[in-house]
Amino acid sequence: MKLFDPHIHMTSRTTDDYQAMAAAGIAALVEPAFWLGQPRTHVGTFEDYFLSLLGWERFRASQFGIRHYCTIGMNPREANDPALVDDVLALIPGYLEKDGVVAVGEIGYDDMTPAEDRCFAAQLELARVHNLPALIHLPHRDKKRGCERTLAVVREAGFPPGKTIIDHNTEETIALTLDAGCWAGHSIYPHTKMDEARMVALVQRYGTERVLVNSAADWGVSDPLKVVKTRDAMRAAGIPDASLSRVLWLNPIEFFAQSGRLDLAELEGNLAVDQRQLHEGNSVLRGQTPRVDR
Amino acid sequence: MISELVDIVARVAPPDGAQWLQQQLVFDKSKFAVAFSAVGRKLGRGPITPADVERLARAGVAWSSTSTVDECGRAALVLAAVDALDPSAQVVFVRDLIRRGDVPERQAVLRVFAALPQPERFVDIAIDACRTNVPSVFEAIACDNAYPVSHFPDPALHQMVVKALFIGAPVGRIVGLSGRITDELVRMVDALVSERRAAGRPIPDDVRLISRSGL
Repeated sequence: MKLFDPHIHMTSRTTDDYQAMAAAGIAALVEPAFWLGQPRTHVGTFEDYFLSLLGWERFRASQFGIRHYCTIGMNPREANDPALVDDVLALIPGYLEKDGVVAVGEIGYDDMTPAEDRCFAAQLELARVHNLPALIHLPHRDKKRGCERTLAVVREAGFPPGKTIIDHNTEETIALTLDAGCWAGHSIYPHTKMDEARMVALVQRYGTERVLVNSAADWGVSDPLKVVKTRDAMRAAGIPDASLSRVLWLNPIEFFAQSGRLDLAELEGNLAVDQRQLHEGNSVLRGQTPRVDR
Repeated sequence: MISELVDIVARVAPPDGAQWLQQQLVFDKSKFAVAFSAVGRKLGRGPITPADVERLARAGVAWSSTSTVDECGRAALVLAAVDALDPSAQVVFVRDLIRRGDVPERQAVLRVFAALPQPERFVDIAIDACRTNVPSVFEAIACDNAYPVSHFPDPALHQMVVKALFIGAPVGRIVGLSGRITDELVRMVDALVSERRAAGRPIPDDVRLISRSGL
């Protein structure tokens, strides 16, 4: 069974992670633009980050047989820096038209400040103008209220709920998200957010339609195999393979295909690996024999 | 305030380190960054005592018992530098110290916020500091520090308190919190308790400092 991780920050992960993910069946992923653990203080740092998502990171994934897509956006934490926000917002449209950019994101709320309101609304408008879906994360603090406010913003902007992922849902937000017509993402974490057993219970209760599962793995304690482990837990609980495939492969494809930038036939085939390739003169290999799939 | 910090340094740091600090207290813009970063190597990183904390509190600034001599030395340098600067340059100076600082440097700057001249001018910097992912930096502004309760508007203070619960920072050490508990803060804490219950996850003990719903 092929698997799709619709939210993982590979920039922060190692080649061991790529190898383990590929071996476990992860064939495609989406890397949302986010922050890097501490705030950036220059617009140029954002530009280089966007370029690395589109360039080196996509190449790195391809060297392990994984298709890499990304979302571009300014995250809500850094949206609170008044010296940066307008320059970064001005930068984003140039990147939204690139191949492999499948949504605007991650956007949404952190502290729910007026500065975050403005940056969120501006980027929903960019998604509309560029005809892209939106990947919206829920705040960690005051999450249920944050979910209600997020859904109100989407509704008031007239943004299509079917082109919206609300991510990091919990037991207290999934019904709000699904009832609004949005797609519900769930981040499976070692200790916080959501875990495998709770995810099984949510699928048993709410079904598979518009339900997504991701690892959200990043620079913190997180696990890039959580999509695989959730599949195993769902299977052990007796959920049929067709439902697993729906949630863990077909749903992310259906959602991100709305960008017009997923090649569905290509996704059905396997990505042939040719580790003889270089990206701007760089290889992921350090003296190993290149793997070359025929 | 500076004299109390210097006394602590004189007692805890090696003698040549304490002497070095005295020289650096005469602000010289071209030398400040080098001295500020060298403090830990010059003064060491030894602990201060509860009596030191009490003395600083009597001088008007809440301090942390987990603080160290290098933090006290850096705090003295920041206060001396701000005193020497034109008022119009003070906010940018402090902002850049936070922005370009490493973790101990950021902590030392945040510790003195309540002692800065016209402290309300620094509120945006302090609120932004709460967005850090580094727990010790968060605690430098949130805990044992009179600044947030004196200067944060309600929404920022509420976010800070809920973040403290969220990351396990000691809510009991938020100075003056009992006087700023609002219905909205209680609602937010109750929502956190509800979310944790629905997830089958433990509820932080410190919620009882704000709401009875966790009991």
